[in-house]
Amino acid sequence: MSTTKHARIGEEVWKSRVDKVNAELVTLTYGSIVQQLCKDLEGDYTEVNKQLDKMGYNIGLRLIEDFLAKTNMGRCNGFRDTAESIAKIGFKIFLNITPTVTNWSADNKSFSLVFEENPLADFVELPDDGRAQNELWYSNILCGVLRGALEMVQMQVEAHFASDVLRGNDSTEMRVELIRIIDDELPPGDE
Amino acid sequence: MSLQPPTSPFVPFSPNPALQPGTPSSTTPLSIAQKPPPVSSASLRYASTRRSIYDRNLNRTQRAELSKASFAFLFGEMIQYAQKRVSGIQDLEKKLNIQGYSIGQRLLELLLFREGRSAKRETRILGILQFIAQTVYRHLFNKPADGLERSHDKDDEYMLIDHEPVVNTYISVPKEISLLNCAAFVAGIIEAVLDGSLFPARVTAHSTPTDQYPGRTVYLIKFEESVLEREAMLAGGKP
Amino acid sequence: MSFYFAIIGTRDNPLYTYEFGTSKSGGDGVARFREDQRSMNQFILHSSLDMVEEVQWTNRDLYLKTVDRFNNLMVSGFVTGGNIKFLLLHDQKAEDPIRQFFTEVHEAYVKTLMNPFYEVDMRIVSVVFDQRVRAAARKYL
Repeated sequence: MSTTKHARIGEEVWKSRVDKVNAELVTLTYGSIVQQLCKDLEGDYTEVNKQLDKMGYNIGLRLIEDFLAKTNMGRCNGFRDTAESIAKIGFKIFLNITPTVTNWSADNKSFSLVFEENPLADFVELPDDGRAQNELWYSNILCGVLRGALEMVQMQVEAHFASDVLRGNDSTEMRVELIRIIDDELPPGDE
Repeated sequence: MSLQPPTSPFVPFSPNPALQPGTPSSTTPLSIAQKPPPVSSASLRYASTRRSIYDRNLNRTQRAELSKASFAFLFGEMIQYAQKRVSGIQDLEKKLNIQGYSIGQRLLELLLFREGRSAKRETRILGILQFIAQTVYRHLFNKPADGLERSHDKDDEYMLIDHEPVVNTYISVPKEISLLNCAAFVAGIIEAVLDGSLFPARVTAHSTPTDQYPGRTVYLIKFEESVLEREAMLAGGKP
Repeated sequence: MSFYFAIIGTRDNPLYTYEFGTSKSGGDGVARFREDQRSMNQFILHSSLDMVEEVQWTNRDLYLKTVDRFNNLMVSGFVTGGNIKFLLLHDQKAEDPIRQFFTEVHEAYVKTLMNPFYEVDMRIVSVVFDQRVRAAARKYL
């Protein structure tokens, strides 16, 4: 499928098949979750990252159903096709953004998503404690979502943020790597 | 005019608020000679592409929308996470109430800020209730509340009625999002707006299904006595 | 002209303070309070809280204009939706510039509050916030 086709599907589904709520409700709700985690885990940001990833994974496992139902998509045609679908359709219909797919590895097994915008992080400034900007990946839930969702369609991936404007980096970039295609016989979601 | 020493002294700045979220301001009174420490901040780094939150327009996201599913998924995880850390349903509701509360505090300021020069603080019970039923509700849920009633037998009680709380209308809501979970969160938002506006009240959510609206929820608002006393005074002061 | 500005939380706790002088008509922005006066500023502002708490129920605007006087000094007030009070001690009437100053600080305050890591009544330590307040002071006062 061509990238423009992905973009068109994303736009169409977003416009006609997505129930919407006020973006600020989502942003504030996510903020409240992260803040609560930081408080409960007493500023152990590594643990907060893990917990966010876990939450995202749980979401991903369920979100894929919603994604497939709304898009009527069949199996992706290779990992490049998957990447385009994630960026232009997945992110479009759930967060109304389309990150750029870039930095493919030579073996076509890993790529980057570069986020120009990130509604989860609107209004956010990390705590000025000398640690958060080095340790916390504020939007880490998104890594988990990708991991969970792709696992449901037989792709085991590893996803992590490589940079974040909240940390003072000039871009927000997530690295996604295909580990393996899961055999159909194995039950998914063994975490 | 002679200057009286203040009746209640300033509370000092907490040494490092960043390290103590959730405990805004400390408690020991400031001695008269003591000066607050100078404003200091460690060293936040800013991206050249996104300098700070202060450079962003507050109205940019005013009408922005996101998928209701995304909200439902996040909310579901909030509940699941909270469930692991509490001992009972009441604890859980309290936790969700607190998370809603922090959102309500922010919305109150944001919505009033957006009214610009014509912004008015609400000083009367009916005014603040209308603000919640109309402005807050519309902003969050794209519709006003379905009803606002005064209790028949209790002066200090009001009811805000929602026929279909937003999360419950969504089909793929995870099953752990019960009606009450959702309502506790919204009750927290309402309570924060009331408290913030100096109408301290307790807000509780009650499920009152009808044949037509199986998800119908009533938020019972019980004001503190001081609110009614002030209301009577303000009413008396006006013809 | 000299100014003393404070943001007061919902429990009468100061969240931010800034002392400055006028930048108008060649002013260098430095406050020139006499030492004895200076030590009183905080108390004057604090004692004017009672007045604010009275006026805020009869005037529903956020900007309450001059709420209190002390000798040749005036206190202007602004109350946000969430009952955070901005107080400015000044020695000359300047109704509109003060409104503009408060309005810009208000915007910076709301941005501070929107950050999930900031909570109501926490002291405001952001360097950028401080810069914003200083810039607004230079621009209008």
